[in-house]
Amino acid sequence: MTKLEFLLSLREALSGLPQDEVLERLNFYREMIEDRVEEGLSEEEAVAAVGSVDEIAAQIIEEISHTKQQAKPKKRLTAWEIVLLVLGSPVWLSLLIAVVAVLFSLYVSLWAIIVALWAVFASFIGCAFGGIAGGAGFALGGKPFTGLAMIGAGLMCAGLSIFAFFGCKAATKGAVLLVKMVARGIKKRLENRREVE
Amino acid sequence: MDTQLKRGLLDVCVLAAIQTEESYGYKIIKDMKPYVELSESTLYTILKRLETGKMLTVRTAEHGGRLRKYYRITTEGLRRIEEFKVEWKEIMAIYRFVTKGENGNDKA
Repeated sequence: MTKLEFLLSLREALSGLPQDEVLERLNFYREMIEDRVEEGLSEEEAVAAVGSVDEIAAQIIEEISHTKQQAKPKKRLTAWEIVLLVLGSPVWLSLLIAVVAVLFSLYVSLWAIIVALWAVFASFIGCAFGGIAGGAGFALGGKPFTGLAMIGAGLMCAGLSIFAFFGCKAATKGAVLLVKMVARGIKKRLENRREVE
Repeated sequence: MDTQLKRGLLDVCVLAAIQTEESYGYKIIKDMKPYVELSESTLYTILKRLETGKMLTVRTAEHGGRLRKYYRITTEGLRRIEEFKVEWKEIMAIYRFVTKGENGNDKA
């Protein structure tokens, strides 16, 4: 194969790739062949020494697609993209506000539930005290059975409040965990967007 | 050999080939041949990488009626060679440890 045949063949094999890169590499191989010829090899020998067109082309293609993947994270906005972004803002901006509003209301609701649970706990405690105190009052005031019943109810509330306490603690912990997980999930989504672009 | 390791080593090899004076593509391959085989495509990638890393500079000059690219090492490139020499001492120490006790090699 002559030098020209080699180079043309190689160029054809790389026809799908960015031509500035291809040109650079063709020049490189041309130089390599010519240097060998200068050393005393015949053109055929020089071309053979450099390698086969298919092998070299395969290597180059793999390399270029490799670096293309790595070169992706370029976060540059073209002028056109900026214009579109501004023009479309009534749409995407209001959608964004809606999404944030929904997320916020969900967040508030979650904590409202937690607060309600603690309120239940507090009311158990309240009833416990009330029952015991009131019952004692009744018992001492001449109505022992009513008093006893009230004290009993009060004690029951006290017991329930203990359960309620652990339940509320667990629920609060769960809520905090949930919020953390969601926050992390959102962060990851945003980061992935950056990488993909 | 591990590809990543080889790649780093070949980079330093090429730098060493242009350490004392500037050189060109084929001459680099020739100079390295007694020690290590280097293909054209590998050399191209290495030279591109070293250029991006500012460890060498390129200039095009006329030679015998055609154009040839000459590569010259930079201070950054020289620094990398020195770095490699230091790294190599560490590798040697690890090697001695790994082969300690083999074939009567008791020197730690």
